[in-house]
Amino acid sequence: MSENTSAPAAAACPRCREPVDGHRFCENCGHDLWLRRGGAARAPSGPCPGCGANGTNTPNGFGVDEAGEDYCSTCGIRRDDGTEHIEADLGQVAGVSDRGLVHAHNEDAMAVGVLAAPDGQALVAAVVCDGVSTVDAPELASRAGADAALERLLHPSGPDMSKAVEEAADAVAALVDGSHGHFRNPPSCTLVAAVVDPGPEDGVSITVGWVGDSRAYWLAAPDAAEPARLLTVDHSWATEMINSGTLDAETALADRRAHAITRWLGAGGEPHPEIVTIRPAGPGLLLLCSDGLWNYYPGAEELAEVALSTLARGGPVAVARELTTIALNAGGRDNVTVVAVPVGPWDERGTP
Amino acid sequence: MTDVAGAGAFTVEVDQNSYLPAGASRVDAVVTVTAADAAAAPAPASEVLEVIVVDCSTSMTGSKIRAARQATMAAIAELRDGVSFAVVAGNHVAQQLFPPVGTVVANAGTRTTATRMVERLQADGGTGIGAWLTHVGGLARQHPGSIKHAIVLTDGQNGESAEYFANALNGVLGTFTCDCRGVGTDWRVDELRTIATSMLGTVDIVADPADLAADFRSIMGEAMGKSVADLALRLWTPRGATVRFVKQVAPTVEDLTDRRTEAARQSGDYPLGSWGAESRDYHLAIEVPAGGVGDEMLAGRVSIVRPGPDGAEEVLGQGLVKAIWTEDTALSTRISRGVAHYTGQAELAEAIQEGLAARKAGDEATATARLGRAVALAEASGNEGTARLLGRVVEVVDAPSGTVRLRKAVADVDEMTLDTRSTRTVRVRGDG
Repeated sequence: MSENTSAPAAAACPRCREPVDGHRFCENCGHDLWLRRGGAARAPSGPCPGCGANGTNTPNGFGVDEAGEDYCSTCGIRRDDGTEHIEADLGQVAGVSDRGLVHAHNEDAMAVGVLAAPDGQALVAAVVCDGVSTVDAPELASRAGADAALERLLHPSGPDMSKAVEEAADAVAALVDGSHGHFRNPPSCTLVAAVVDPGPEDGVSITVGWVGDSRAYWLAAPDAAEPARLLTVDHSWATEMINSGTLDAETALADRRAHAITRWLGAGGEPHPEIVTIRPAGPGLLLLCSDGLWNYYPGAEELAEVALSTLARGGPVAVARELTTIALNAGGRDNVTVVAVPVGPWDERGTP
Repeated sequence: MTDVAGAGAFTVEVDQNSYLPAGASRVDAVVTVTAADAAAAPAPASEVLEVIVVDCSTSMTGSKIRAARQATMAAIAELRDGVSFAVVAGNHVAQQLFPPVGTVVANAGTRTTATRMVERLQADGGTGIGAWLTHVGGLARQHPGSIKHAIVLTDGQNGESAEYFANALNGVLGTFTCDCRGVGTDWRVDELRTIATSMLGTVDIVADPADLAADFRSIMGEAMGKSVADLALRLWTPRGATVRFVKQVAPTVEDLTDRRTEAARQSGDYPLGSWGAESRDYHLAIEVPAGGVGDEMLAGRVSIVRPGPDGAEEVLGQGLVKAIWTEDTALSTRISRGVAHYTGQAELAEAIQEGLAARKAGDEATATARLGRAVALAEASGNEGTARLLGRVVEVVDAPSGTVRLRKAVADVDEMTLDTRSTRTVRVRGDG
């Protein structure tokens, strides 16, 4: 659920409602007026939307049963936890995260932000995390990781990918000591983060950092100056087997360990990111996604075809929606999270 | 609330298509309940009661009483040390054969004495099965909390009035589980089936008295492996829902719908008896208030519960039955293999019982149609055991279409065997 997406120079501070002028921080409460983010949502509270029953014995007083399940104990209607379908649209960057059709919860998280200097072009940052579903409370890991990474990428001292991933790893590790109780299998998650720096002097640069198998793609038209391609290399068993030459692709991908990740944030994980920076020679679209999308559509050209035609019609939020929809239509066996950032000049027809 | 120690002792797997078209309200699911390893270890011997009831009516004279003696001795030999037991001689009344009153703890000495008493067993008198059950019920009440099991053997029809028998059966419901065996072909399948179904046990025919000892040995072996007593399947349903039926569908078809007792709010308990290292399947059909497209509803929560020591209960496992309304017909028209399979198996049992009843009544047209349907269902589901038994009662012209001719001469034993075993099901093909 996105916060207010109006222009940075709001007439009133979105936190304290005091009138503000052109300063970056609110003179009253210190709120950062240039930063806009969307992503982690909270569960709604109140009576059951199905039958109006008020729950008892639940931490949030909601109409769910004593076992803390997702269903009303009176009428059985599923209670949304607020993360079934999240959209964040900040204009220059947009994301959609969806529970999918099979999983009981959305364990993915995203965080997107724009840091707009009043006199310059905006710095755009986005993070996608995918909670490891075999551990306890993976959604806590993905939210903590995504929030912490975004915070650091849009830090006033300037973006630092390496530090951003480090702080995300710390935030996930800190969950163990937090107020969430005891975990038998402490939460963990993947992470892919990107920061798009308009770079007034030397042109746009995109820095991508990742841990695990969430991906970043550069998507562009077939004849583009900067060709469409996958920017990340999965930290997964199959990819490592293939890249080291140990197994051929067919054998590696058929193995039941194929999708096991080899790096992650959280207990027992190897949290060191790989980081790449590209300076695209032409316009395109940066896409971050969890494996809920790329398991069905792994090819950059294929994704580019869908994404670019949709971008022309409805901007980045339409791209995120469309790619999420095709993943759901393909089966939606996992949580799906898609974040889109258009890069470079686009005319009204959406072509470079 | 879930007790941590008990949680996960049972796995509850749900096979269903949770997608419903707009406006639909019927939810079907097959629930497989399996004891996890920790829950499957036999209960301590001190918490087990076994009673063997042997028919000693006049009709048992001859080879049958000799076989019954052998069978009872074989069963006694299977008793684990420490188990409480009793042997009851049944005619028009129940006479305690050993020990003289109450029960005794099994050890080498008591097993030998019991065996010696059984050797002297004589056939004399009538058949009063209701009186036998009442007697076992009395013994069972002295062992609260234990796994209480009885074997009842008879060769004839019950001589009591229907009302007396019904009252006696009602009086012992839930006090012990009971496996019934009919020896020869002079007993009534429906009588023993009523007892076995009510007492959550099995019923079978032992046509040849010589096979009785092996059968008793195996019943007792299975009984000795039971680990928990008095389990119940608790079904929670949403407000406004109706439970159409709850049936055990594997290993045999048993309709539990009318056995419901109200439990917690919007919940009812269905008795499962005692449980060992085993797995059983249940078919549930629930009518829920239809939701809107996109709604997801919990249509039922299945919990396996066991009464705890001080009135508390333990939840040993749980499974969820869901309903999701969709406009996507590709989703809502999917058929759950388990539901389709067991719908067929329940119909198979029904077709056999109706077919045999029609045959007895001389209604050949109905008998041919129903038994033909049974042949087709047995063939389609791979229920080879039942198909073979059907083949002794009808001549199969074409199994897939269910084209059959009634056999002119059918041995009583074949007809009774088919009837008795009509409720035996097979699991979905490929599940082993």
